[in-house]
Amino acid sequence: MEMLSNLAVGFSVALTVQNILYCFTGVLLGTMVGVLPGIGPVTTVAMLLPISFTLPPESALILLAGIYYGAQYGGSTTAILVNIPGEASSVVTTIDGHQMARQGRAGPALGIAAIGSFFAGSVATLLICFAAPPLAAIALNFGPAEYFSLMVCGLIAAIVLARGSVIKAIGMVILGLLLGIAGTDVNSGIRRFTFGFQDMADGIEFVALSMAIYGIAECAYNLERKAEEADVTGTIGNVWPSLTDIRHCTPAVLRGTVLGSLLGVLPGGGALLAAFGAYTLEKKVAKPPRSFGDGDIRGVAAPESANNAGAQTSFIPMLTLGIPSNPTMAMMIGALMIHGISPGPRVMTERPELFWGLIASMWIGNLLLVVLNLPLVGMWVKLLRIPYRLLFPAIVGFCCIGAYTVNSNIFDVYVMAFFAIFGYLCLKLDCEPAPLILGFVLGPLMEENLRRALLLSRGDLMVLIEEPLSLIFLIAAAVLLLVVAAPAIRQKREEALQE
Amino acid sequence: MHIRAPKDFWSGIMFLAFAATAMIAAHGYSLGSAGKMGPGYFPMMLGGALALIGIILVARSLVLTGETVGRIHVAPLAIITVGVVLFGVMLEPLGLVAALIAVTLVAAYAGRESHPLEAAVLAAALAAFSVGVFVIALRLPLPIWPSIF
Repeated sequence: MEMLSNLAVGFSVALTVQNILYCFTGVLLGTMVGVLPGIGPVTTVAMLLPISFTLPPESALILLAGIYYGAQYGGSTTAILVNIPGEASSVVTTIDGHQMARQGRAGPALGIAAIGSFFAGSVATLLICFAAPPLAAIALNFGPAEYFSLMVCGLIAAIVLARGSVIKAIGMVILGLLLGIAGTDVNSGIRRFTFGFQDMADGIEFVALSMAIYGIAECAYNLERKAEEADVTGTIGNVWPSLTDIRHCTPAVLRGTVLGSLLGVLPGGGALLAAFGAYTLEKKVAKPPRSFGDGDIRGVAAPESANNAGAQTSFIPMLTLGIPSNPTMAMMIGALMIHGISPGPRVMTERPELFWGLIASMWIGNLLLVVLNLPLVGMWVKLLRIPYRLLFPAIVGFCCIGAYTVNSNIFDVYVMAFFAIFGYLCLKLDCEPAPLILGFVLGPLMEENLRRALLLSRGDLMVLIEEPLSLIFLIAAAVLLLVVAAPAIRQKREEALQE
Repeated sequence: MHIRAPKDFWSGIMFLAFAATAMIAAHGYSLGSAGKMGPGYFPMMLGGALALIGIILVARSLVLTGETVGRIHVAPLAIITVGVVLFGVMLEPLGLVAALIAVTLVAAYAGRESHPLEAAVLAAALAAFSVGVFVIALRLPLPIWPSIF
């Protein structure tokens, strides 16, 4: 009963003309950047953060969320038609999806990707409705020690599940934490790491940092690689899969949805891991398994369902615990904080219109996406003809405007220029920037919770392992680290992530 | 001494440089004690941890063989960064239109296959779009024209 009244509140927010419009804009932009290789949801969300500050918080969240899950739909279009993943999370879709396109079955591949995504998105949204309130209720009882350990655990999990070297990722997290606490210390009023700059008193601007890394540095990095020619495959034809196709795909969609929903909740998870996991699982369990790799429709259905389910459920830790599971979620937290809302378990009770409005908008957004995706596929294909040489100066220009408008401060533009160079070096050295962004957002929170925990225990660090829940989180973190350190498992992990 | 894994080696050096900066700066803030953490406590802790990571990476890179660092293409990055700085310098005195056209033209130059005419059209289109969307529709506080007008 309570659920219904909550959803009623949600729909009353999401169904206002203004918010439908923002949801529509979000999913439209999301599909667009999903289709375009070389620009992803993280970059887009970063570029739109400054605009979202002028909106009410619920509209801002609806817009930004739409971009994230919209990109999961768009990514599959490019993967199937051009054999280039429009989004990292649709890499595996290229394997069978493009084969189908070459066999003249591009239509059904696009169709099943959209239908699977819609089904998975709806189920995952429902899951958020049921899972989020109890989780938030548990989190409300967390003391500072539990919160600190939870953040440690979340960050470690994000590292373990991410790609690349674990030790470099730990370094990037710590560096992110350090950058995050720059600025005036709330307790002592002392300015830390400002290096004499008056403008650093409020710390490093999150928008400037994230646009530097995901916008500018990535542009410079992409320019080095040879541009891939967009070679669009023939005609698309009827997008409706046949009944046989649907019967064939139903188990794959269901498995993809379940696995994607679960993997999405994990820190470091989200859409990417979900898609990889689902494809691997499908190859193992689907019968008969022979045709994977030569255009098996299940090889499209499973990962596309999974990445959309994962994109939705990765909102759960952000909304209930205030902990981001990936850089896009970190940006949503950044957006909320600018509006003076500190994300965490209290958001759901104190700002129900925000929480339930977002959930309701996800239903609407998923519906809009099916409508957008299938009939407009021809338009998206035309978009692919935009060469990167026109795209990247626009990205750089929008980043400049964005960095300035957050605080109307030129200094932030220079901060962005500085971190662009830093971000480029990180990309060159294979130091993943995602852990840095997560650390940056959590830095001040971690320090504050550790300070409070140790204040209550009078400086006794044992408090972190005396509280049972806190101990569980720390043990989980330690186990995760040991697991990746073990050589046999490390090899498996690399296989699974590289595939 | 022979560097066997250059990527790891330079990552380690980068972390060590940041750790040293953090610890030297944190030295100037009061540390306090665990029960009453001062402003220097957490940064010092993080600095120490980061230094440790840096040392491990450097040490490992001398023993285990790993990837070499790909060629650093200085030109595109430098040109784009100059464009961004130029935007910062120009925006307040000269306005959004001039600053945006400048950054777009400079950035376009970073691409290998840029055509001057195409870049000029792109710059003009972006400027028109940005004035329309950001300043007129969204009312972001941006000066459009040079402030003398």
